[in-house]
Amino acid sequence: MTVATPFDAHGVEIAWCPGCGNFGILQALKEALNELGYRPQDVVVVSGIGQAAKAPHYLRVNVFNGLHGRSIPVAFAIKTVRPELLVIAESGDGCMYGEGGNHLLHAIRRNPDITVLVHNNQVYGLTKGQASPTSGEGFRSKAQPWGNLSRPLNPLSLAISQGAGLVARAFAGDKEGLKEILKEALSFRGFALVDILQPCVTFNPVNTYAWYRERVYYLGKDHNPEDQVAAFQKSLEWGDRIPLGVFYRNPQPTYEMKVEGRAKKRRNLFEEGEFQRVLQEEVARFL
Amino acid sequence: MDVTLKVGGAAGQGVQTVSEALSLILARHGYYVFSIEDYQSRIRGGHTFTLIRTAEQWISGGKRALDILVCLNEETYLLHRGEVKEGGVILGKVGNGDSGKGVHLLPLDFEGVALRLGNRVFANMVATGALLAILGVGLEKAQEYVRETFAQKGSEIVARNEEALEEGARFVEASGLFSSPFLKKRSDSLKASQRYLISGNEALGLGALLAGCTFYSAYPMTPSTGILNFLASRAEAYGLIVEQAEDEIAAINMAIGASYAGTRAMTGTSGGGFCLMCEGLGLAAMTETPIVVIDAQRPGPSTGLPTRTAQGDLLFVLHASHDEFPRFVFAPRDPQEALNMVIRAFNLAEKYQVPAIILSDQYLADTKWSYDQLSCEERPVRPLFSWDGVPPYQRYALTPDGVSPRLSPGGEALVIADSDEHDEYGHLTEDLVLRKAMQEKRMRKLEFMRKEMRLPFVLEGKDATLIGWGSTWGVLLEVRKALAQKGKSIGVVHFSDLYPLPEGLRDFLQRFPNPIVVEQNFSGQLAMLLERETLFPFPKRICRYDGLPFLVEELVEQVEEVL
Repeated sequence: MTVATPFDAHGVEIAWCPGCGNFGILQALKEALNELGYRPQDVVVVSGIGQAAKAPHYLRVNVFNGLHGRSIPVAFAIKTVRPELLVIAESGDGCMYGEGGNHLLHAIRRNPDITVLVHNNQVYGLTKGQASPTSGEGFRSKAQPWGNLSRPLNPLSLAISQGAGLVARAFAGDKEGLKEILKEALSFRGFALVDILQPCVTFNPVNTYAWYRERVYYLGKDHNPEDQVAAFQKSLEWGDRIPLGVFYRNPQPTYEMKVEGRAKKRRNLFEEGEFQRVLQEEVARFL
Repeated sequence: MDVTLKVGGAAGQGVQTVSEALSLILARHGYYVFSIEDYQSRIRGGHTFTLIRTAEQWISGGKRALDILVCLNEETYLLHRGEVKEGGVILGKVGNGDSGKGVHLLPLDFEGVALRLGNRVFANMVATGALLAILGVGLEKAQEYVRETFAQKGSEIVARNEEALEEGARFVEASGLFSSPFLKKRSDSLKASQRYLISGNEALGLGALLAGCTFYSAYPMTPSTGILNFLASRAEAYGLIVEQAEDEIAAINMAIGASYAGTRAMTGTSGGGFCLMCEGLGLAAMTETPIVVIDAQRPGPSTGLPTRTAQGDLLFVLHASHDEFPRFVFAPRDPQEALNMVIRAFNLAEKYQVPAIILSDQYLADTKWSYDQLSCEERPVRPLFSWDGVPPYQRYALTPDGVSPRLSPGGEALVIADSDEHDEYGHLTEDLVLRKAMQEKRMRKLEFMRKEMRLPFVLEGKDATLIGWGSTWGVLLEVRKALAQKGKSIGVVHFSDLYPLPEGLRDFLQRFPNPIVVEQNFSGQLAMLLERETLFPFPKRICRYDGLPFLVEELVEQVEEVL
C-alpha cells in the first residue's frame, strides 16, 4: 500500500521505466523519513548521475544533484557545515562504486553522519546496459560482448573490512523490509551504507524480481552486527541464498563530533569591529 | 645599502632555517627584505637555495649578482661562486678554492663550531650570526628570535643557540673583513621600525581567513600546499574546517557542497590538480554555487617541474571545463594584493554566484616580501542570501541580470540544485527552450561582472611599456628603475584583474607606447588574450619558461634587446 507523505513531489514526470526497482526504493524512503518525523526542509538528498540519481527530484526535499560519482564529497561537506540537517547521498552502483569508488573509501574513514543509499542493479542503465562494478563475471553487453571479464565488487565486504559505521543490504522488491533497514540506517549516528538490490527490468535479464525473491532472506537474531568478523563472513554469502538486513554496526565518533567545538570559535568577520580585531591579531604575526 | 645574498645547501641542511631566521631578523631591524626560494622536488639532498635581497628602501625583485654567498655545502660554492660580485664575500664551505677577482673567502666550518657547542643543529645559528656580522647588524634581535623560537626546547637549547650566533659573529669579526667599505654602507638614518614579512601563500591563506571562509578542502600539491598549512594552523583558533581531501576532485566537490550549505568555501591546488577540478568547476557554474579556487602555477604539462614557477595556466583556467560559463580570473601581483584579492574574489563570486579563480605561482607562493604596513582595504560583504519570501521559491529564477535568489538549505524554502540543465526551481529539464533561456541567464552575468573589474596598474613611460600580469609586477618595477638609471623611460602596465577584462580596455591601452609583454610562459598568453579582446597586435613578447623567476639584471638585458 502506498502511503501519502510530506515528501511526495507533485506534478513531476518520473523518467524511470515502468516496473523499475527505483519506485520501491523511492516510496520506502519517503515513508521512512516520514515515520522518523523529519520535515522536508530538514533533509538534503545529494545524488550523482544515472537513473537512480534522479530520485531526489522525485522527492520534496532539499536537493543537490551533482556530478557522476561525486555525491559523497558534497554530502560530507554539507553535513560538516550544517550538522543539524539529515544528509543522504543516493545514487547507483556505477556512480558510487565505479566513478566515485575512491570517495566511498575515504568517507568510511572520515565517518561523517551521512547515509549512502546505493541503488544496485548490477548494470549501467542510463548508458544502456554496460557492465557495472557489481555485474557478475560473464555478464554480456554491447560493450562486453565476450562477457564481463572482471569479478564483481562486494561493497558490503569492502565497507565492513574498513570498519564502516553501519553496513546493510536491502531489496527494492520488499518495501516494508527496505523501509525498516532505511529507518535504522538513517537513525544511525555515523556513516551508513545501504546497498539496495534493485532489479533493472530493461537491461538486467538475470537479476530479476523473481530471481531475488527465490534467494533473499533476512538476517536473524542469531546474527550479531557488532561482530566485524561474523559480519564480514555473512557479507561473502551470495548465490543461492542472499542475506538482507544490517550486517554490521560500529558506532564511533563522527567527523562532526570531532570538529564540534570549532563552530563556537567562528568570528563574525562581516562585522567591522570583529574584522579589525582579527586583522590586527593576524597581521601582528608577520612582524 | 642594497645587498643580495644567497644561502645554498642540500635539502634538509638548514637553508630554509637560516634564510627564514635572517629574513625575519633583518625585517625586525627595519630593513626591507625580498627572499626567493629555489628548491627541488625531494625531501633530502639535491641542491636548494634562497636568494635574499635586503635594502634600506622598499624592494620588489631579486637580483642575480651576489654580494654574499653562504655555502652550507661545497656544491653551493662550485655552482654559485661565479655569481659573486667583485668585493663580495663567500662564507662557509669554500673548499680550497681560490677567490679570484677580489672576492673575499671566509671559510667557516658551521658544523664544526656547532659540534663543539654540542650538536650539529646549532650550525644554522652559527651561519646566521656570521651573516649578521658581515652585514653589520647587531645580535640583539637575533637573540630575541632565538629565545622565542627555541623557548619550548628549554633554556639549555636557547643558550647554545645564542652562543652559536656569537661564535659565528666572532669569527667574522676576527677575520678583519668587517671593516671593509662594502659592509659599512648601512646608514644610521634607517628607522628603527619593523617591517612585515609575508609570503604569497601566507597572504592568500590570511585573505581567506579574513574573507570569512570557514571551509578549505585541498589535496597537497606544490606550490599550493602552504595555503593548506596556513589555514590548518589557524583552524582551531578560528573554527575553520580544513580537510585534506582524497583527491582534487573531492576537494572541489567538498568546497561546492560547503558553499551550497551556506558558508564561504575555497580550494587550492596547482595546474595538475586544477585539471582534475575542471568538471567540478563546471558544476559550480551550472549550480551557480560560488567558490574560490586558487591555482598556484608551476611548469607543465603533466607533472612538469613541481617546485618551479610559471604563468602557463592563464588560457587554461580561462576556458577550463566544457561549454561556456562566466567566471572571474584574478592574479595578485604581490602578497599585499593577494590578501585583499581573496576577500574581493569571495565577494564577487558570491555576488554573481560564479566560480572565482585566483592564479598564483611558485614565485608568488614562496617568495617573502616586506612592507611597512600590511593593509586590508577590502571587507567581506555579508553573503547575499536573497529571497523576497513570496512563494514559490525558485533558486534559478530568470532575472534581468542573471543572478537568482540564493538560499541555503534548512530554511522553510527547499533549495534544489542540479548539474543537469534545470528549470527555475532547479529540477532537471529537457525543455530546450528553457535550456536556451538558462544558458542566456548564466551568460548575462558576464557583462555585469565586467563592470566590477579594475583597469591595470599603470606607470607611464615614453620609450616603452612593459605589460605583465600576476607575480611579475615587482620585477617590472625594478626593471623600470634600473633602466631609468640608464636614461630610459619605461612604463609598466600590469594586470591583476584578468577575466572578464575591464571595460574600455581597447581605448585605455592605446596610449601606451611600444608595448612589450613580459610573461612566464612560452607563447605570451596575456598578449594572446589582449589581442583577442582589443584587436591590437602585441608582437613584442619576452617569455621565460625555464621554471625560474625573472631577476632584475636578466630582464633589463632582455628589455634592452627588444626596445
